[in-house]
Amino acid sequence: MWLPFSATFKRNFIVMKRAYPWSFFIGHILSGAYIVFFAYLSYTFVFNKDMDTRFTAYAGTNDYLSYVILGGVFFSFAVSMLMIVSRSIISELREGTLEALLLTPSSRKGYFLGTMSQGLTRAGIELLSILVIGFFFGLQMAIQDPIAVIILFIILLFSLFSQALVLGAFMLYFRDTYITQNTLFVLMGLVCGVTFPAAYLPNYVEWLSYCMPLTYGIDAFRMVMTEGETLAGIQFNLFYMMAAGILYLVIGSIAIKRMEYVVLEKHFG
Amino acid sequence: MKIAEIILAEISKSHRHNFHNRMVYFSLLIWPALLFVTAYYSFKPFNLESSSPVFDHIQTDSLILFLLTGYLGYIFFWSLVQSAWQMAHERQSGTLEIVFLSPVSRYTLMFGRAAGNLIEAVWMFTAFAVIAMASVAGIESIAWWNVPIAFFILAFSAIIWGGFLNIVFLFSRDAGILFTVLEEPMQFFSGVRIPVLALPLWGKTIAYMFPLTYVLDIMRELLLEGASVVQLGTSLGLLGVVLLVLCSASFFILRRAEQHARTTGNMVLF
Repeated sequence: MWLPFSATFKRNFIVMKRAYPWSFFIGHILSGAYIVFFAYLSYTFVFNKDMDTRFTAYAGTNDYLSYVILGGVFFSFAVSMLMIVSRSIISELREGTLEALLLTPSSRKGYFLGTMSQGLTRAGIELLSILVIGFFFGLQMAIQDPIAVIILFIILLFSLFSQALVLGAFMLYFRDTYITQNTLFVLMGLVCGVTFPAAYLPNYVEWLSYCMPLTYGIDAFRMVMTEGETLAGIQFNLFYMMAAGILYLVIGSIAIKRMEYVVLEKHFG
Repeated sequence: MKIAEIILAEISKSHRHNFHNRMVYFSLLIWPALLFVTAYYSFKPFNLESSSPVFDHIQTDSLILFLLTGYLGYIFFWSLVQSAWQMAHERQSGTLEIVFLSPVSRYTLMFGRAAGNLIEAVWMFTAFAVIAMASVAGIESIAWWNVPIAFFILAFSAIIWGGFLNIVFLFSRDAGILFTVLEEPMQFFSGVRIPVLALPLWGKTIAYMFPLTYVLDIMRELLLEGASVVQLGTSLGLLGVVLLVLCSASFFILRRAEQHARTTGNMVLF
């Protein structure tokens, strides 16, 4: 597994250096920065910091700006990671390298983990940039347990990786990236508690938020990064994200394998 | 070639290009509808009672109507950004040269293309918005007699905007970055979600740089306040000036780019 992991990492790193459209990178930072900036404008200038009485109960905090800023930071990060992993196989197909990849006896796990790890270097820079922008617009951090932040980050990464495999299978099935990925992202923006607590949604829509590991991830990051919560306080979120991650991993691994056969038959006869 | 023929040809091309797959309905209906719902719920954390600072500009019971009209205008303008994006694809795939060799006026082609794509792209969300307006707010809250004129103003302005974008994208190597940089500010500052009057002075200044701001002002006055065209004379005059500036810029860039292409053999101007 190590060889395909390092080979994929190196290849993607070279692609990023030489041929990556940096407008994507700027676009991802901007989309997060705009969530932060427009939340700040709405809160400060349009609504004069006048909040709904239910907000504190639903959000678990009365700090609206920190709530939205962390929402924007991790939503942008999730979108980047999902895109990086899910688009990998279909990009190989489009670039004409899929046949070669399928012919090699390399581990698919190593390939996907290499793609994710390399993508993490880029998505990590995006995350840090949006976080820095967030500080200028009122993000208040109160981290008591840095270990909890690290563990939470690793588990979020795992659950996003698993979800990306399912998304990648859909992309191969529909032979499309644009509509498939953006439909998921628009839906995540609505149900994952990015700019408002999901509790405001009607019950028949709110259940969709339970299918998204990001909902629990953002919620837990808010608890440990702005409310000073420790690892014990986010146990439920961690457990839920692990369980959802394992479920998505099983479904995604099977689905991707199947789709590879379908693509193989349709494209290469 | 007559304008109608060009528009029909563009509608036919756009239909074959985009509607071969049912998934296109996601981008035409599901995305705008979800964005509208997200915008509605993004207001929820704020105080929307009569004591709220925005209550002077939008009342809670008309919030949905405000957002629906906002998103309707936004979708008209946004769909043409997408269509302009395909302009660059035509250049890359070589079909643009064939189009340019046909005996069609360049300007008619650019604006005809915008008109053709507009009808294809917006009818579905328009139907959704009109049905939603009627069912949420009741038939009586909308000045239905103003609907045709409001849609004419919206469609006409969007076509001028779309023609301008087509020309910018036609001669640019990667104008996609412009879309990335300007899309969200246009949505925020031009009054799609937030009333422009609730913004501070500097916010209002930015707002009136976007043509969509003028269109939404007029549309809401016509549909929600039942104002007549005569009452909106000043606003319409201002919109006319803005559209004239856009048209002049379109003509200038196209002429400049063609001269550049003749001299260097390169379609990319910037």
